[in-house]
Amino acid sequence: MRIATFMLILSIILAFQLNLIDPKIIGLIAVNSAKLIPELGIRVDMLGEALKAVYETLIMSLFGVSTGTLIAYIVAPLASPLIAPPSIATTGRLLANTIRTIPAILWAILFVILVGPGPRAGALALSIYTAAYLIKFFYEALESTDREHYDALRVMGLKGLPLALAIYTHIRRQIVSSILFMLEYNVRTATILGFVGAGGVGYYILQYLNLLNYQATMTFVLVTLILVIIIDLLSYIIRTRI
Amino acid sequence: MELDYAVDIKELSFNYGDLVILRNVNLSIKYGELVAIMGKSGSGKTTLLKIIAGLLKPSVGSVRVLGWNITSERIESIKGKIAYIPQTLGLIEGGSVLYNVLLARAPVKPIAFMAGYWGKDDIMEALDTLKLVGLENKAMSRVDKLSGGERQRVAIARALFQRAQLLLADEPVSSLDYETAESIIRLIASLKSRNLTIIAVLHDKEFAYRYFDKIYVIDNGTLKMLR
Repeated sequence: MRIATFMLILSIILAFQLNLIDPKIIGLIAVNSAKLIPELGIRVDMLGEALKAVYETLIMSLFGVSTGTLIAYIVAPLASPLIAPPSIATTGRLLANTIRTIPAILWAILFVILVGPGPRAGALALSIYTAAYLIKFFYEALESTDREHYDALRVMGLKGLPLALAIYTHIRRQIVSSILFMLEYNVRTATILGFVGAGGVGYYILQYLNLLNYQATMTFVLVTLILVIIIDLLSYIIRTRI
Repeated sequence: MELDYAVDIKELSFNYGDLVILRNVNLSIKYGELVAIMGKSGSGKTTLLKIIAGLLKPSVGSVRVLGWNITSERIESIKGKIAYIPQTLGLIEGGSVLYNVLLARAPVKPIAFMAGYWGKDDIMEALDTLKLVGLENKAMSRVDKLSGGERQRVAIARALFQRAQLLLADEPVSSLDYETAESIIRLIASLKSRNLTIIAVLHDKEFAYRYFDKIYVIDNGTLKMLR
C-alpha cells in the first residue's frame, strides 16, 4: 500500500513537471484525434510490401536469437563462479553487463556506421544485445540450480563445458523460456531499429509517417501487430509443452 | 596396511567457524565393505560423506580415499572413482533415464557427451545396467516423470555405469515408503558382490542391522561403532 501511495504522489508530481495536467492538452488530443480518425484505415494494396518488411524484421529477430543463444550458451558458464574460476567469472559478467547497459538502438547505430544501413546492421545489433541478456539469464539459472547437483556431477569427474551442458539440460525449461522471451523482445525491438536505418518494418513506418500517409503507416503497424501476436502465441504453446 | 582400506580417516575434525561438527573421527573401511552411518539430523553425517567425496576439506586430520590422501594431494584423478548420491539425487531432470546413466561416462568421453552421439557399446552397457536395477523398460522415460523409488534406481545405475569403486549415498531411502525403501536397500546391498565399497547414511536401524556389515553412529560430533 505504501508503494502504491508513493507511486501516486510521484505520478502527480511528474505529471505537473511534464505539463500533462493542463486543459489545453485535453483539447489538443481531441482536435488531433478528430483529424486522425477519418484518415485511419488500411491499404490492402500495400499488404504485400508490409508482409515483406515484417518478414525482414522476423529474420533479423530470429538471427539475433539464434546467434545470441549460441554465444550465451558458451559464455554464460564462464560467467558463473560455480563452473569457471572466480577471476574469469567476474570478467565474463562485467563484459556482459557492459554490453547490456548500451541500448539495442545504440548498437544498431554503431552497426549502421560499421556495415551500412539495412537489416544486416539490425541483425548484428540484436545478436550482441541478445547474447548479453541471455548470458545474464543463463548464468542466473545455472546459479539457481541446487548445489547438490553440482556436487554429484563434480564427484563424478565432470567440469567445464560438459558440466554446464548437463546443468543446462536440468534447467531446460528456464533456458527455453529465456530464449522465447528474447525472441518476443527482439521482434518488438527490431520494429524500432528501422528508425535509425537498421532495416525491418520500422524503416517503412517512419517513412510513411513522415509523408503523413497514415493509412500506409497503419497497414505496416497492423501487420507488425499480427506478427507479435503470433510470436507470443507460439511462445505460449512451446512454454506449456516443455 | 593402509592400502587395504578404501577409506581411512585419522583424527578428523571439522568446524564451521566456532561450531564443531565432527571431532576426532577415526574410520577405516575395507574395500568391498557395506557401511551404514546413522545419527540425528544435523549430527554431521552429510558433512562426513562430503569430506570423503572430496567436496569439503577437514579442519584437522588425514583422509585417505582409495589410497589417495585427499587432504594434501590433487584429487581430480580419484573423482571419477567415487559416486556420490546426494539426498536430492542430483539427477538431470530434463534428461531421459538413459541420458542420466550415459552422463556417468561424460568425464571420460566428453566429445560423445557434448555431441550427444554415443557408441553402440556404451548404449548397450547402459541398457544392461538399467536392466540390473529393474529399469530396462524406462530407458527413454524422462526422469521427472518417475516415482521416488525409480529415481533412486536411476542414481544407482549411474553409479554402476560410472564404474565407481566407492559409492556414497546420503539418505537414499528417506522419502520412500517401507516396501520401496527395503527394495532399494536390498539393491544397494547386492552391489557388494560387484566389489563396490558402499557408505550410506541411514535413519532406519532395522535396515542397517539387517543389510549392512558395519554400523556407525555420529553423536555429539564423535563417531562410535555400533556393530
